[in-house]
Amino acid sequence: MKMNTLESEDSKSSDFSSTDEISLLVIILDTNPGQRILRDNPRTLTQCVDSVIAFANSHLMQKSQNKLVVMACHSKTSEFIYPNSDKPLDVRQVDGQYEIFTLVERTIKRNLAKMIAAESTALCNESLLAGAISMALCYIHRIQKTKPVGCKLNSRILVVTGSGDSAFQYMSYMNVFFTAQKQNVVIDVCALDQHLSLLQQGCDITSGLYLKIPQLQGLLQYLLWVFLPEPPIRPKLVLPPPVKVDYRAACFCHREMVDVGYVCSVCLSIFCKFSPICTTCHTVFKIPGPLAVKSKKKKMKL
Amino acid sequence: MTTSSEEILLQVPHVRYKKGDGTLYLMDQRIAWMMENRDTVSISHLYSDIKTQKISPEGKAKVQLQVVLHSGVSSTFHFINRGGIQEQSADRDRVKELLQTLLPKFKRKVDKELEEKNRLLSTNPTLLQLYKDLVMTEVVTSEEFWTHHAVQYTQAQKTQQQAIGVSGAFLADIKPQTDGCNGLKYNITADIIECIFKTYPAVQKKYIEHVPAKLSEAQFWTKFFQSHYFHRDRKYVESKDLFTECGKMDDQEMKKDIQTGVKDPLVDITTFVDKSLDECYGMEVEKTPGSSGTVSQAMIKRFNQHSIMVLKASKNKHPEPESSDSSPSNVKGVEVSSNSISNGISSADDAHVNKKIRIQEKITYEDLDSSNDTSNASKSILNLSKVERYLHGPMPGSNAEYLSVNDASSINRNILNECKQWQGGRQQTSNLVSPAAAVGALGELSPGGALMRGFQEQSLAQLVPSDIEKEVRNLYLSLSELLNHFWKCFPPTTSTLEQKAVKMHEALHRFHGTKVKPFEDKLIRELSPLSYHLTKHLNQLLNVAYQKFNNWQKMKTLHR
Repeated sequence: MKMNTLESEDSKSSDFSSTDEISLLVIILDTNPGQRILRDNPRTLTQCVDSVIAFANSHLMQKSQNKLVVMACHSKTSEFIYPNSDKPLDVRQVDGQYEIFTLVERTIKRNLAKMIAAESTALCNESLLAGAISMALCYIHRIQKTKPVGCKLNSRILVVTGSGDSAFQYMSYMNVFFTAQKQNVVIDVCALDQHLSLLQQGCDITSGLYLKIPQLQGLLQYLLWVFLPEPPIRPKLVLPPPVKVDYRAACFCHREMVDVGYVCSVCLSIFCKFSPICTTCHTVFKIPGPLAVKSKKKKMKL
Repeated sequence: MTTSSEEILLQVPHVRYKKGDGTLYLMDQRIAWMMENRDTVSISHLYSDIKTQKISPEGKAKVQLQVVLHSGVSSTFHFINRGGIQEQSADRDRVKELLQTLLPKFKRKVDKELEEKNRLLSTNPTLLQLYKDLVMTEVVTSEEFWTHHAVQYTQAQKTQQQAIGVSGAFLADIKPQTDGCNGLKYNITADIIECIFKTYPAVQKKYIEHVPAKLSEAQFWTKFFQSHYFHRDRKYVESKDLFTECGKMDDQEMKKDIQTGVKDPLVDITTFVDKSLDECYGMEVEKTPGSSGTVSQAMIKRFNQHSIMVLKASKNKHPEPESSDSSPSNVKGVEVSSNSISNGISSADDAHVNKKIRIQEKITYEDLDSSNDTSNASKSILNLSKVERYLHGPMPGSNAEYLSVNDASSINRNILNECKQWQGGRQQTSNLVSPAAAVGALGELSPGGALMRGFQEQSLAQLVPSDIEKEVRNLYLSLSELLNHFWKCFPPTTSTLEQKAVKMHEALHRFHGTKVKPFEDKLIRELSPLSYHLTKHLNQLLNVAYQKFNNWQKMKTLHR
């Protein structure tokens, strides 16, 4: 439903026909009031929003054909806050600023305020980032399908969030990451507060950049320095090197990360200890006899 | 120089060497020449040093013999028997023949093994490098190197090499040279002769019959190239020839082959009939069966013969006849068909069965075949419990916290107030990023900054000069070879393995001392900033091995 209105808006404003290469940036801004940095200091929200707006405008400034989408993500809902879902705001030139920039700022702030006002009182510090990313992927997919023949669309998603990523969304995250990889969509993540290991995996899978910023004051600087360059240009720049991502699996029994574990040959369940009967599929395994004897011997020696 | 035990096999007087007259001696170990009226030998070559001997061609004024050594030095002896040219060449031939029998004996004596090793080293740069690093520095003895470290190379040598087939154009490749006076000169080598024999077995028979007795080798080959047999597709008509018989022999051979036919039941050669389109419209052409009719027919016949020979050559290798891919006798029409049909009737049943088997082979796939019925029966349904465990991520549990209603509403209020400020127009945009924060961020993002950890190592590759890089690579090559053998000794279950472990441990220490340490010193001198990084891993590898060895030794002493 929302998609439809967006489409009508988009088809009006878009003039893809004259371009050959378009860069589409989807910014997912986590504005969940429950996250720690906003709880501690509400002013941080203004700073984040202003930084993201400045960053978005820089993106639009790089090339007149560049496209921008901004989404806000909360604990129960995710919404597109730019471009406007209904008719675009009527903006006149202010202070000689490029009208589009004013439009971006006004639209984002108005829609965000509306969304926060509608926020329920039951707060949770968990944001639906996976859902927001999948919405962004749907949007990108639609643009990809409706774009004129012969023009190339480079799309990427930037997630700016201060909340943590939890195992509740694990499956959704993984689905989203691999979809993005398949669609050639790069996912960048800028972590404001906590280290996000799941999203880091997503960056690694889609060959995007993951950055946990050390200080919030310089947010715009980090955004402009690290995330503004297009993915094709990035290899030529000196950017933070990719960190080794922990892809270890968790065992099914204790949910602990295991370096070496036992995998059921029938159902592929992972266990940290050998058990003669797989607890998932009830397959009975032979007990590896000599192994037990050996371990005993070693103990005696020591 | 001459030792008393030496036996003189042949003594030829009147031999001139470098303007001095003297006597040539053929001893059992060497060839020697002594000046007249002297008692010392001025020329002496061991037979094992001699590569080849050469003689002056017939009809030259000087009758000479030259021996060429492996070192490239050659000595020429001029035979000057006063009995004239006949005597001189007789002298020469005696020497030549004796040398001919002697030289091959000594050739085998040349250290074949050494030569082989030399060849291996020169053809395998990796092995050569290993040899340089391990043997020349005396980390490992030469024997150890060849028995342990170069096994895969020496083994590879032992695998049988495939026999080289006959090139299709080998006869065309013999380029005849004009000798000026209306003649042609063919240079043929042993390889070419081999090829000729392979393609024309009849010629080989003739060769065996004629060559030593009736004709010289050269004469035989001259005849061969002149003969009607060789040129037969050009339709020479010549009366009497050495090779006329060969043609008949070939024909017989071919007939035999045609009679045996092709055994493949799926290939029906009998249907290939040599008919032109005209014949179907009643334009009958007289045929001369069996014999060579036109030039082109003779040519085709030769091609067929050649194909048969090629097929036969491959058959000798594989005992089971596999001839499905070629039909060599598809040209000879009438005769073939009648023969093959009679052949077919006699073994009709057999052929039928064979055919069935062959078709079965082609149309069934084992892995697809049985699966259909058996899988249904034995398929067990996967019965999973606690499926949700698949869906949980590696993160243990939830760190989500729910805020109380009071907290939530106060936070919401704060945030809303913040939002309301936005509506009032633009304010305080000037301090979105403070200069200090921006500079701090830039510092963190520049090489060496807090966020750029790991970047330094990446650029290490660019900092290392190529010669050092090569050296490191060689170090790794040698070390991994040694370590490979070291770790293979564990667990040391036999005494030989134990000994080897001790030996390899020593070798590792030697390698450490003679190769790694000097390299490290050199690095510190030349490029100090990365000296440690480059050999870090090498040292780690070595230390792990040392530790393993020490632990093992400790265990051994504890046991006793």
